[in-house]
Amino acid sequence: MASTPGALTVKPEVGPWSRVALAAVAWTALYLLIEPLSQWIAYGLAGLPRGSHLGDAVAFFFYDVPKILLLLSGMIFVITVVRSFFSAERARRLLSGKRVGLGNVLGATLGIVTPFCSCSAVPLFIGFVESGIPLGVTFSFLIAAPVINEVALILLFGMFGWKVAALYVSSGLTIAIVTGLVLGRLRLERYVEDFVWRTQFKEGEDESAGLSWEDRFAQARDAVRDILKKVWAYVLVGIGVGAGIHGYVPTDALAGYMGKDAAWWSVPLVVFAALPLYSNAAGMAPVLQALVEKGAALGTALAFMMAVVGVSLPETILLRRVLRPQLIGVFVGVVTVAIIITGYLFNAIL
Amino acid sequence: MATGVRVIEVLGPGCARCYETLRVVRHVVDDAHLECLVQKSESVERMADLGVMRTPAVVFDGKVVLSGRIPRTEELRQLLGLS
Repeated sequence: MASTPGALTVKPEVGPWSRVALAAVAWTALYLLIEPLSQWIAYGLAGLPRGSHLGDAVAFFFYDVPKILLLLSGMIFVITVVRSFFSAERARRLLSGKRVGLGNVLGATLGIVTPFCSCSAVPLFIGFVESGIPLGVTFSFLIAAPVINEVALILLFGMFGWKVAALYVSSGLTIAIVTGLVLGRLRLERYVEDFVWRTQFKEGEDESAGLSWEDRFAQARDAVRDILKKVWAYVLVGIGVGAGIHGYVPTDALAGYMGKDAAWWSVPLVVFAALPLYSNAAGMAPVLQALVEKGAALGTALAFMMAVVGVSLPETILLRRVLRPQLIGVFVGVVTVAIIITGYLFNAIL
Repeated sequence: MATGVRVIEVLGPGCARCYETLRVVRHVVDDAHLECLVQKSESVERMADLGVMRTPAVVFDGKVVLSGRIPRTEELRQLLGLS
């Protein structure tokens, strides 16, 4: 966990690598420092008694905030460097001619590693469908990215550990694959707007080719800066709220509604409530922490988050340009059902 | 020699990232006192014609110079041949 970007592959003679190695060392040192530092701030500097409610809350806050921010910086850096080797053009080449089934698995996987923002959904959709990639495979690709959000993944890892993070990725992949398979089976091609089939999509340049390591590191640095800038306030507020309510609201306050033994309809209810909401993953993570802290079952809480982050109204509205309402309806429906099933699954095994 | 006005297009459906890209483009163009037309296009057909699958994209005189991310100021200056 403490291993860091590029630390293993340092080549001493090149500039960019040494800078990355240096950053990796600094990162590790900071990571090791935050726990003793948080203890010192709470119990030394502030003089709060050990074991006291306030003291623990302060220590928790000063440990968790830097921990999450460090995890975000380190992992976003690595993820962005990895992603710089993938491109939509490459995904299109890899996926064209692939059969349903294998194509869906590959599509969902590529959807995670290929960098694209949800507003690219329309040109991506046309580009894929036009080059003969089956509709279902295209959907597997398009749904994987928002359902498996990298910021959410890192936050889950930081707050709940690697098991929950791994479960999140595998269930997200499964949702993308199954959704694509089901949509492919339903033969919905007729609900794609006609102009899509007529569009000639020019073969674009492969963005991932010909980048130097320096370029890739620069992109990664930018990504880290952008995400931290967008996210730090949420992390601060979220963990602050988490630390603040810790102990004041009874921990089983929500157990009756969202707990493991709550009624069967609690998962679908939560998912339907979440569908119209749209927030970024960072905003959701603290909510998740608070919910679980107060007795919500993790599966129910995760289903809530996936529905909020994964099904976005803006993206759906954009897709309306290329898809008829019927297909959008089926798409949202299938994804929703998949998320609900995942919620049950999580509750059953966690 | 081309005598027409040079054109920079920013392609994207109109999300925050596209507007940020447009802002960077305008900033660089103003800063360099570049004589050119800056356009924002949401046309899917235009994206298809140019092979742009990832937005935002920056197109300079009909050639895609960047796609899929917000350019840095310095990077964009280079792409436009300004530095």
